[in-house]
Amino acid sequence: MSAVSTDLEPAGDDRQAEKKGRRRSLVALAILLPLTLAETSYDSVREWLRGEDLIARDVEFGQSVPFGGSEWRLADLRGGKAGRLPEHTFAVIATFSVTVGDPDLQKQWLGCKVMLTDAAGRRWLPDFISGVSLPDGVMNCTSAIFSGAKKGDVITVGETFIVPEDAVKTIRPAVGLGSERPWFLRFQRPPK
Amino acid sequence: MKIRAIGNLAILAATVALSYGMQVSKPHYAELTAPIPIDGAMHDTVRARSFDVRLDKVVFARTLKTEQFGQERLLTTSGLWAVATTNLAATGTSTTVADGTWQGPTGLRYHQTERLSYRQDMPPHAVDPGLDRSGLFVFEVPPDQIRGASVLIAARQFAPLDAQARISLDALPIGADGQPADVLPEYDMDAAVPSVQGKS
Repeated sequence: MSAVSTDLEPAGDDRQAEKKGRRRSLVALAILLPLTLAETSYDSVREWLRGEDLIARDVEFGQSVPFGGSEWRLADLRGGKAGRLPEHTFAVIATFSVTVGDPDLQKQWLGCKVMLTDAAGRRWLPDFISGVSLPDGVMNCTSAIFSGAKKGDVITVGETFIVPEDAVKTIRPAVGLGSERPWFLRFQRPPK
Repeated sequence: MKIRAIGNLAILAATVALSYGMQVSKPHYAELTAPIPIDGAMHDTVRARSFDVRLDKVVFARTLKTEQFGQERLLTTSGLWAVATTNLAATGTSTTVADGTWQGPTGLRYHQTERLSYRQDMPPHAVDPGLDRSGLFVFEVPPDQIRGASVLIAARQFAPLDAQARISLDALPIGADGQPADVLPEYDMDAAVPSVQGKS
């Protein structure tokens, strides 16, 4: 067998080897393509997960849980009619008692979001309600970040909300923090 | 051998033709990622992905009267002012509805006015689930872009592949000259301001 004839028509052994090589390449493609896809989308997926409150961690009423370097406990949840709100809507104030652990709140609590959720999965973000203000000594999450609270301090964080009448029966307060996403805390309502 | 060469040539030519066809017919990137329109009519609730919107009323006027920093201002236009009153609510999560566009019958688009200073009843509208609120969208349009127009409302101005409510204004009374039947000489933005609650 001369070199020339090998070029034109590969002998049986060579053909077998080539077949094997092609098959391996095909299998490698099946592995490498998904891997490439995973690699290129990794950053986007991570960014997305860090920005969304996706997975709820349920907390019993009265229980303190560590979240974003501090201990969070639902202090109070109360609703009522407020002067200038439209009919069939309620004003709700949710307050949390937080024992500061890691005092670097600007890092730990970045993107702090207090919300209300209901049984149907709807979510309400805080609203400004004219004539309804937070009780004395209660600050909202953003002011708490810049309050200069030190380790061991107990601060009260609260927000006001407007919710429709049909949701009031099942609302539960929830808290999301940039350093903990996609996890967020969902608190059980205080017993009646 | 000859047939094979001709065959190869034919395949090559077909590939070139196909590639060229695909290249010239390729949609622009902005088209590929354009908002997804959801059609509706006036007085109907249009359900977009993150919000519901119902266009209740469109008022046309030659001048807008508004109060800015404690001073009365009259805003004139060489076209017409169109003040659209909508009813808005969020579907699942509190969000904002910020973008309004007037689309004329020939496809010309007029983005909402930015000549008014920040007002509670102007975009961005903060909306909550289950809580209806009214919101205005104000446009400045040429009179010939009114018959057969539609109003496009979206959560954000640049929102690839997000829903966009496309509300046709066929129900508007139009005169014989193709102009709106009713044009006010002056519209007072502060005449009837409903009490609205704002986002903190």
